[in-house]
Amino acid sequence: MSRRQILIGVVIGVAAVALGWVLMTNLSRTLRTIEPDSVAEEPAPQQTTPSVTPVVPRIKATLFFASEDGRGLVGVEQEVPLAEGAVAQARALIEAQLSTAPPAPLVSTIPEGTTLRGLFVSSRNEAFVDLDATVRDRHPGGSMNELLTVYTIVNAITTNLPDVQTVQVLINGREVDTLAGHVDLRRPLRNNEALVIP
Amino acid sequence: MLPTTTIGGQEYVALDDIAGSFGVALREDRLAGGVTVMAGTQTIIITADQPVASVSGRLVSLSAAPIRQTNRWFVPLDFLQRALGPALGTRIELRRDSRLLVVGDVRVPRVNARIEQGASSATVVFDITPATPTKISMESDRLIVQFEADALELQLPAVPAQDFVQAVQPGDAPTIVRILPGPKFAVHRATTSQPDGSSARLSIELLPAGTEPPGPPSANPPSATPPDANVPPVDPLPMPVPSTGLRTVVIDPGHGGDEQGARGPGGALEKDITLQVARRLRTMIESRLGLRVFLTRDDDRTMSLDDRAAYANSQQADAFVSIHANGALRPAMRGAEVFYLSVDRADAEARRLAESSEVLPTLGGGTRAINLILWETAQARYLEQSSALAGMVEQALRARVEMSPRPVQQAPFRVLVGASMPAVLVEVGYLSNSEQEQALTSAAYQDLVAQGLFDAIMQFRSHLER
Repeated sequence: MSRRQILIGVVIGVAAVALGWVLMTNLSRTLRTIEPDSVAEEPAPQQTTPSVTPVVPRIKATLFFASEDGRGLVGVEQEVPLAEGAVAQARALIEAQLSTAPPAPLVSTIPEGTTLRGLFVSSRNEAFVDLDATVRDRHPGGSMNELLTVYTIVNAITTNLPDVQTVQVLINGREVDTLAGHVDLRRPLRNNEALVIP
Repeated sequence: MLPTTTIGGQEYVALDDIAGSFGVALREDRLAGGVTVMAGTQTIIITADQPVASVSGRLVSLSAAPIRQTNRWFVPLDFLQRALGPALGTRIELRRDSRLLVVGDVRVPRVNARIEQGASSATVVFDITPATPTKISMESDRLIVQFEADALELQLPAVPAQDFVQAVQPGDAPTIVRILPGPKFAVHRATTSQPDGSSARLSIELLPAGTEPPGPPSANPPSATPPDANVPPVDPLPMPVPSTGLRTVVIDPGHGGDEQGARGPGGALEKDITLQVARRLRTMIESRLGLRVFLTRDDDRTMSLDDRAAYANSQQADAFVSIHANGALRPAMRGAEVFYLSVDRADAEARRLAESSEVLPTLGGGTRAINLILWETAQARYLEQSSALAGMVEQALRARVEMSPRPVQQAPFRVLVGASMPAVLVEVGYLSNSEQEQALTSAAYQDLVAQGLFDAIMQFRSHLER
């Protein structure tokens, strides 16, 4: 009986590996098909080195940029790496928000060079996004710009991760009054739909 | 809420409760038998058995020595006023009679009420210190007296039910007193007087049917018919000539000093434009409205946002107007905008908690409690009036200057949060648009904006008096 059990175990194991391989192959094909267009338009040198880097699963997420006239936010669907858990996913979203070039004619609301220092989510589902001082030092000022910058960060998390209900922006690890003299950053903020142009 | 406990006939507060309420940190030094309270950059050191506290090196006396009991430290109540207030840079006023702790510059007038019984009427007399505007209305069968304040220090008479007055009670909100009229009451007549410069006296006469009511004659003069439950609200009490509903305005020129605000493509700075517009508006109000008007800054200085609201609170302003000039990422954006504070659900909850009067059990066995008025909820009480003021500013500005596509908005602007009065933030135009930048730096445009704001303030004054 024990040899038979071992045999069955081996057969099941082999079958599972085979199934896994088939699934992974199909999945990676599927994922490649939804890579952003820009990847397909990479310059020629890319073609000489066949893609051997592991494929990171990606999800569709809404990132936010200033509208052409600058009076509101426009949500743009982008692919963002899939991450395990709310904290890692929120980090992936903010990193994508900071690094993604806005599709013309939209404009980025976050000063260039701003980096994410840290991100954590409290047990009360409040996200804390810690940015470096570039976001404040290079901010052009004006309450409209400030509203757009702050709510780009807030909405990027709360729109894509509905479990996270509020976001507080920190600068250099510290709580601050405001980014540029207007929007209260002393408390976590909720998603702002009013600023988003449909 | 801050529970108190009585030890040896003296009232104490636990330090850990203070730490929780005021956000200060504690560090105990058991060897030295003392505690250090860290309030921002300031420290307070207390030692057991010594009725003094050292506030950043300066000694202040306490009414009793701190006590360490069952692993907790207790300090006498006046520690809050004498040591914690100075360390936090905040006024903390302790009103022992009414068990009220007033934190910061908030309006908490003392209101003492009494009833004068007459043969054919009764008068409820309110002595209000400092003088505070009131509004009287009739809701169902009750007379509602609303005080323009953040809270009241109330002393109400306990009297048996009479023909004209059954009871005088605290209302549903902390700034409302309710009068329950008796069976013979039909109409009321209110008068105010100022026995001295600082306090006001409001007398509400409760009269039987057939008495001529106050105010202009209405289409339906009162007859012998008793009032029914659907009597429309009575017009608010007109205030005496010198005291209108709007007596003091604080204008806040945005930014200043190191904080320049937005910058136009031609180099114009928001902080300069805001100060220029604020000065023009001040001159107009002073010369034509005769109100008290103050600027939060009258030169190029850096000033924190909370200090600006605190200044308006300390002046007991009836309206707060913060002036700014906007900046957008795209040059096409133009026009003026008006903002008032947005309050989310969390804030609404905080406001509800701040307004509720729960009583926590205390260690001494009693159930005494102290109300704290929270900075973070100060503006939440005035949202309706701030919204009305924002609407008036929008209408008045629209008549004179170009408005943006979203002329009135709500936003969580810090400068509005702590203002204990109707408050708006006005963006007078977009500096990021070169044409508007030129206009914003011109005397002509600044005068138009100031005139628009002046008109709105005049209209708001009428609105408050209505």
